[in-house]
Amino acid sequence: MSDTIAVPSKLPATSGRYRISDHLTSFGPLIALAALLLIGGLINESFLSSANISNVLTRSALIGIIAIGTTFVITAGGLDLSVGAMSALVAGLMIMFMNAVAPTLGAGSLTVLAGILFALLLGTMAGLVNGLLITRWRIEAFIVTLGTMGIFRSLLTYLSNGGAISLESGLRSTARPIYYGTLFGIAYPIIALAILAIIGEFVLWRTRFGRHCAAIGSNAAVARYSAINVSRVRIATYILQGLCVAVATLIYVPRLGAATPSTGVLWELEAIAAVIIGGTVLSGGYGRIWGTIVGVLILGLIQNILNLTSWFSPHLNGSIQGAIIILAVLMQKGRAAR
Amino acid sequence: MCSTTIPHRIGRPTSALVQCAAQVGRQGMTLLRTNSIRKSFGPVEVLKEIDFTVSPGEVTALVGENGAGKSTLMKIIAGYEKPSSGHLLVDGSDVFFETNVDAEASGIVLVHQEFCLIPHLTVAENIFLGYEPTRSRALDYAAMEQRAAILLEELGSTIHPRTLLSKLAVSDWQMIEIAKALSRRPRLLIMDEPTAVLGHHETDHLFERVDRFRQDGGAVIFTSHKLDEVKRLADQTAILRDGRIVTVAPTSSLTEDEMASLMVGRPLSDLYPTKHPKPDQTAVLSVRELEVPGYVERASFDLKKGEILGFSGLVGSGRTELFEGLFGLRPAHCKTFAYQGRGRHLPTPREAYQMGMAYLTEDRKGQGLLLEKSLGENLTLLKGALVGGTVIDLKAERAELDRAITTYEIKAPKPSARVGTLSGGNQQKLLIAKTLLAEPDVIVFDEPTRGIDIGTKQQIYRLIQSLAAAGKACVVISSEMQEIIGLSHRVMIMRQGRIVGEVAGDAMNEDEIVRYAVGLKEAPIHV
Amino acid sequence: MLSSLRSLLGIGAMALATVAASSSIALAEKAKIGISIPAATHGWTGGLNYHTKRTVDALRKAYPDLEFVITTADSATKQVNDIEDLVAVQKINALVVLPFESDPLTEPVKEAKKQGVFVTTVDRGLSEEGIEDLYVGGNNPEYGRIAAEYFKTKLKGKGKVVVMRGIPTAIDNIRIDAFKKALDGTGVQVLDMQYANWNPDKGFEVMQDYLQRFPQIDGVWAGDDDAALGAIEAINQAGRDKGMIVLGGSGMNKVIKRIMDGDKLIDADIFYPPTLIIPAIGATAMKFATGAPVSGRWVLGSPLITKENAEQYYFPESPY
Repeated sequence: MSDTIAVPSKLPATSGRYRISDHLTSFGPLIALAALLLIGGLINESFLSSANISNVLTRSALIGIIAIGTTFVITAGGLDLSVGAMSALVAGLMIMFMNAVAPTLGAGSLTVLAGILFALLLGTMAGLVNGLLITRWRIEAFIVTLGTMGIFRSLLTYLSNGGAISLESGLRSTARPIYYGTLFGIAYPIIALAILAIIGEFVLWRTRFGRHCAAIGSNAAVARYSAINVSRVRIATYILQGLCVAVATLIYVPRLGAATPSTGVLWELEAIAAVIIGGTVLSGGYGRIWGTIVGVLILGLIQNILNLTSWFSPHLNGSIQGAIIILAVLMQKGRAAR
Repeated sequence: MCSTTIPHRIGRPTSALVQCAAQVGRQGMTLLRTNSIRKSFGPVEVLKEIDFTVSPGEVTALVGENGAGKSTLMKIIAGYEKPSSGHLLVDGSDVFFETNVDAEASGIVLVHQEFCLIPHLTVAENIFLGYEPTRSRALDYAAMEQRAAILLEELGSTIHPRTLLSKLAVSDWQMIEIAKALSRRPRLLIMDEPTAVLGHHETDHLFERVDRFRQDGGAVIFTSHKLDEVKRLADQTAILRDGRIVTVAPTSSLTEDEMASLMVGRPLSDLYPTKHPKPDQTAVLSVRELEVPGYVERASFDLKKGEILGFSGLVGSGRTELFEGLFGLRPAHCKTFAYQGRGRHLPTPREAYQMGMAYLTEDRKGQGLLLEKSLGENLTLLKGALVGGTVIDLKAERAELDRAITTYEIKAPKPSARVGTLSGGNQQKLLIAKTLLAEPDVIVFDEPTRGIDIGTKQQIYRLIQSLAAAGKACVVISSEMQEIIGLSHRVMIMRQGRIVGEVAGDAMNEDEIVRYAVGLKEAPIHV
Repeated sequence: MLSSLRSLLGIGAMALATVAASSSIALAEKAKIGISIPAATHGWTGGLNYHTKRTVDALRKAYPDLEFVITTADSATKQVNDIEDLVAVQKINALVVLPFESDPLTEPVKEAKKQGVFVTTVDRGLSEEGIEDLYVGGNNPEYGRIAAEYFKTKLKGKGKVVVMRGIPTAIDNIRIDAFKKALDGTGVQVLDMQYANWNPDKGFEVMQDYLQRFPQIDGVWAGDDDAALGAIEAINQAGRDKGMIVLGGSGMNKVIKRIMDGDKLIDADIFYPPTLIIPAIGATAMKFATGAPVSGRWVLGSPLITKENAEQYYFPESPY
């Protein structure tokens, strides 16, 4: 093309690999996690036992799976406050469906499978509702999902009359292994979390869809001018979130075998907190799943450690949790400051 | 000694002593002197031994290629950066600026190339941001708006101080930035590419204002890639190359060609490449009665294979909106639209891309590039995955990036750098690389050389020429008359949303075009 | 204690029957009765809402001249607003209120009283004496004491127990204090008291962590049946159900069923049902419908429910 201007003497070395070093500044959450593990181990010998770690990981898997979807939504510049209420409603409807279908299909795996598919369908539809309201009618995501949060939860309360919606005992035993079962000693929920996290990270960083999410969150106008269908991608993130909620819910239901009005309360805040602690930027444009998982673990470990000690009055649990969250985010200040 | 006509500093108490000193400063002493200023960012040395002086009532032009160090130097003088070594002297004594606030206290104010304005505040609020006048603790809106109106009027602008910034055009933002700087009553006004986004009229008004400022004893340092402007406005010109000052001389002693050569370091061949002779007559794109509600009405034209079609007109004439409408980025409708001879409806952005149409936006920061992301990511954002449809082939992407860096000579600290850290010219080159990566057949270049130095401009002109020679169809929208004339086979002129004229051959000269542009002549196209 | 509840219901039933039999008894007065209760956020309040609605429906049918307005609130602030609206806008003649918290609700209820409204408080009192005309409530100190007695008996005077507290409120404090007091000086050691907020999910998690922490636990007081159910799941998962004693509270029908079926893990409950709203509303309605004298203070007992008497406390239709 041009011959009159000298070519710059230094050309960058070629490397096509995903560069970890590009993210060196943001290892803060891992440090926080390591610190918590250390503190926990010092406080109580049983902390580092496989049983305790398994418990915490399994419990965290629920929020963790939800938070994978949340990472996508936030990266694309959106927000979904309805996930906790969505989970409650999906749980309730799923149980009612399974109870209703059991007489025909029996109290065995077939019904449970039907219930699982039903839950996934519900999650997709709920996500679609959120997505359409936000993109088609251009309403703020905060407002829409605040609204659907209220709607979902009150629907569940109405259906349950304020009480619990419970699985028939036969179904309960069939479904029980979903939460309590293990494969090679690792609980199923943990395996599910791991698989979904790996897939999620791959999609976010190595597929066009993931790139588009980050582009939209970074600058939606630029995305539009780059021929990206912004609405379609946004709706997809909300549907993805709905699916994640459904998966988390179908894992949760066998735990207690019931859905109550207090199911899923504050889960949305925990999911969002985990995502932010993990390093995803709240205003969108940059997200990472591995960070989210670390964030979820940090939250779960804090609760666990506080339960394992009587040093602090339980009234202060909330303050300690809040303080640690702020600390974890402060440690990442280097990356965040613009 | 102290004159009674000294202006009152807005919002801050003045001491008579400060004003006296200012008055003394004006009487012939050197206002600013840089003494062996050096600046390095890590291992990269950006400024080497900068020595020059600025006197009151003097306009200095800083001229140089992209990356020569002009912006860095201005930021140091204005207190936004600290020199790695060397110092500044103001009025003969050493000064140290911790932040720009210190510099502003010494009377040095910088007008940024990137805007530091807040879209959801009004013009007046923006101008006085941080220095708001108050009356018994409450914001004095009346005073703010009044003073803002005066400042804007002095700049020849008709913007109402209560307008929300988000409703104004890019050129207005620039004028407001300048008004903001002037509101601080500077002694030394530094402007980084002030006319990059301004049209002719606004540029004229600005230069008038600068003249008056100079007569009042103020000093100005500015940069511009438009060498004719440098000749027009500057008393002395300093030419930077690779971080060094190559020459400081009275502007009258340098011709534009000499300036350009010194900038680049070798003699320049002709700026505009020879035009490919008569393009094809086959229309690759035709549109009739295109309407973009609120911006464009009844626009009709044909674009021929292998031609470079120029679109000229005053800022705000609707050129950008016309093509945004054509590309589905804005609501639009038309009577007929034909592409490659086949009639169809106006495309969505995705369809346009798939058909082989590409639009290079004039707003590279807001609509063209993701400033927070790396070069590679930006480069392939339009074209998308390079393997299959879903998974990204990082190796292939990296190879494309290397190729683009070489072909367009994009200077970046490292390929994974954030695009926001690149200089304006390199950003523009990346944007061009991104747009052309998809190998489109029709390319619309909207202000392709805005904020780019001479050497790079040449590159881009050659590029556009070669595209046309290869049979692509190009549209060039530009506010630089010479550029449009030098590049295009024919030029359409727009005014207030309508195409008012078309010129080619001998009629393609500045005079004719301006006539159409300002409404002295009109010959609506009948196609 | 129990008999007073029974007799209250009895009075109510008789009155209903009487009226049904002879519809020509003149009503003492036409009236509008406002009911302000907490919203159905967890099991117990769910049951509360259920029984409230059920009672109101029945009373509406029986006494067409009585109007009822039900409001539910999920916070003390909302409840204050509800009461103010009931008095000023709805112009009620009587108020049946289950205060979210005693302190913030005292002023608005006092105001209502000043306006001539007949006030019935349920379950919790106000922070000032003498405002209400009728009080129908459970016995929180007894609740805590019964729980302590249960463990003393079951563990034969010594052992280690863990406790789960409820939502941080006044009644939780009263119960816990009574519990601690009753265990003073005995050989029963309380290992820890974390908050499970009367919530099955929290109960599950807290119990899991307790089991991790303490290699030996003889008993768990979960605070109420919701949390107890969660705790049971955790205990089963850890395989430590042998020799473990679980106690909840409030009389949830699921748990009562388990007691009736002779469950090994949980064989007792503490009576503190949401059905106590029934006599409160019923008696208030009576006052206006028949002129029956209903002022006073009725404290319902919180006896221990065991396999022997579980049948009497079983309401399978209730959501709680």
